[in-house]
Amino acid sequence: MKNIDFDAVAEKVARMPGVTCVNLVSHLCLDEGREKMIASIREENLDRVIVAACSPEFKEHIFRQALEDAGLNGHLLAMANIREQCSWAHEGDVTEKAVELIKMATNRARLLQPLERKELPVNRKVLVIGGGFSAIDTALHLSRVGLRTTLLEKEAVLGTGTGEWQSLHGFDNSSMTAAVEGDRNIDVLASARMTAAEGTIGDFTVTITREGEEISRKYGAIVLATGFRTELAPTSTLKLRTQAEPISGISIVSQEQLFHMLHNSIVEAKPRTIGFMFDFSDENSRFPTLTTLNNALAAKNKWGSEIYIFCKNVKVDSEGAEKLYREARECGVVFLKCETTPRMSMDNGRVAVEARDVFLGEDTIIACDLLVAEELLLPIAGTETLSSLLNIRLDSRGFYQDENVHLYPVASEKKGVFVIGGCRGNLDMGRVLTDISSVVMSIHELLSSGKIQVEIERVKADPQKCVACLTCIRVCPHSAIQLIRVDTGKDVAVISDLACDACGVCAAICPAKAIEFQGYRDDQTLAQIEAIGES
Amino acid sequence: MNGRIIAFCCEHSAYPAADLAGRLRLHYPESLRVIRVPCAGRVDVIHILKALEKGASAVLVLGCEDGACHHITGNIRAKERVKQCNVLLKEIGVDGRRAVMFSLSPNAPHKFVRVANDIAKTMKESREAR
Repeated sequence: MKNIDFDAVAEKVARMPGVTCVNLVSHLCLDEGREKMIASIREENLDRVIVAACSPEFKEHIFRQALEDAGLNGHLLAMANIREQCSWAHEGDVTEKAVELIKMATNRARLLQPLERKELPVNRKVLVIGGGFSAIDTALHLSRVGLRTTLLEKEAVLGTGTGEWQSLHGFDNSSMTAAVEGDRNIDVLASARMTAAEGTIGDFTVTITREGEEISRKYGAIVLATGFRTELAPTSTLKLRTQAEPISGISIVSQEQLFHMLHNSIVEAKPRTIGFMFDFSDENSRFPTLTTLNNALAAKNKWGSEIYIFCKNVKVDSEGAEKLYREARECGVVFLKCETTPRMSMDNGRVAVEARDVFLGEDTIIACDLLVAEELLLPIAGTETLSSLLNIRLDSRGFYQDENVHLYPVASEKKGVFVIGGCRGNLDMGRVLTDISSVVMSIHELLSSGKIQVEIERVKADPQKCVACLTCIRVCPHSAIQLIRVDTGKDVAVISDLACDACGVCAAICPAKAIEFQGYRDDQTLAQIEAIGES
Repeated sequence: MNGRIIAFCCEHSAYPAADLAGRLRLHYPESLRVIRVPCAGRVDVIHILKALEKGASAVLVLGCEDGACHHITGNIRAKERVKQCNVLLKEIGVDGRRAVMFSLSPNAPHKFVRVANDIAKTMKESREAR
């Protein structure tokens, strides 16, 4: 930071009202600097601290800890970012700007208030919704770390919708369900659905309907592992329907049907030519790529058929996919890269696929005995109901928040509700296993001690000013606000310290200005504006 | 406040973008002052109007991209609020371009710099026109 004259800054800052002492330290975030800071707080008996240094993004927590170590509340710290947003961002002398940034921080620091921390008890039970691979595996892992889990499955038995997994990874249904049965920490509620849910992290009250009877249970966290479903893409079937000839049922199949033909049923005549299609309607084709490559290899080995794969792109970013692709090419599978969906027609019980290969640059017509149609991956029915029960949003494809890059992969916007596996559009084994591990770790960290540390009343609605207009309840993105009747008989908005994620949207929107967000109160922000351009 | 530009930066997107701009030594006008907010949705009409009243030449509200807001709808709320500000400013005869909202992601320092330079240029032009 050569373009800041620190001695001049120190001199000017020392003259600001309320400033007791100014210390110039070369490495404040190292032990030596922190010790100096703590000593200074104790010696001068300081009640607010301003750190003018690098961006608060990196080191704010370290300085907060230093304040705590010196016996001061961590929230009495204000930072001025004079490195990234001053010295490094401009050429030439920026001493003036640095002084102004420190002045802004001083004005804010003067109005800061300490925040109290408190330990709140949490329920240690977990509800896992779903009965597929990811749900069962999560329950087994949670049981291993000593947390009791309920598996909520809408079907009568666990593992009904795992056909695709079996085909891909040889996932054995029976051994997993047996492990669940033998586990005392896991309790299975089959043929049951969740019909109501309320509460916040650590204290959810869930109503479960099972064969007409309602059960109410309490949980600390909820995991959604409801999976996905597949559907034949309209582009592959509709175009054929317009043809005069009827569709013969056997010529066009889904991946799962092909899998059963390969492994379970006896096929009278081996198909000589098989065509596969994927990646035309939905470019999110990580999972179709895997199923196609697996099934194509199996068909090649078992039937020795000629195999043509029509696709826009082969996505090989999942574990082992590159190897599968190479194997497929080596054993003679032909990949045709097409920019548009191939045209199809029926020809003597065979499907003629007319495609334009972009590398050959000419139209190719291939008559297939069997065409494996393109499949769309969709969220299962009931996803919308669950999302509205739990107040979490869906993305444009109908999955749980898959597209929001600002949320941690398995977290939803509601604390204590997690989404894993196929229901968030995450569809290959490696990624699903990562999801399971991270959700188990997150829940273990949250619930295993039975209590959780929170800062209380960081965002608080003043019951005197609240007029119960419900605006804050409607806008809160984390559904952390509830209307509660207080002793005087009046209804007021109460913000849960556990569920609040401190965004301040409610504080800005409250028409009665009843909500205060400590650290970002109106007066604290206005005081910063006040300092701009003063010097 | 002679021509200062005040940028309310969301700590999940625009603030890291501004930091990154500094780390890459991308230069933007020295008159820019960043105020860190937990979400663009925290910025109230009063903050924007007070800043303009104090003499800021422009106020920027910088939040996350659509559909990728850490607080889900915070950026949409911020956009609505800036729009509301523009209506109020128009009523009292102030140029609406002086309060604007932009979306950017935390890895977009170039966009941050472009937005800052553009607004400074616009303000300079409108000063000269007057």
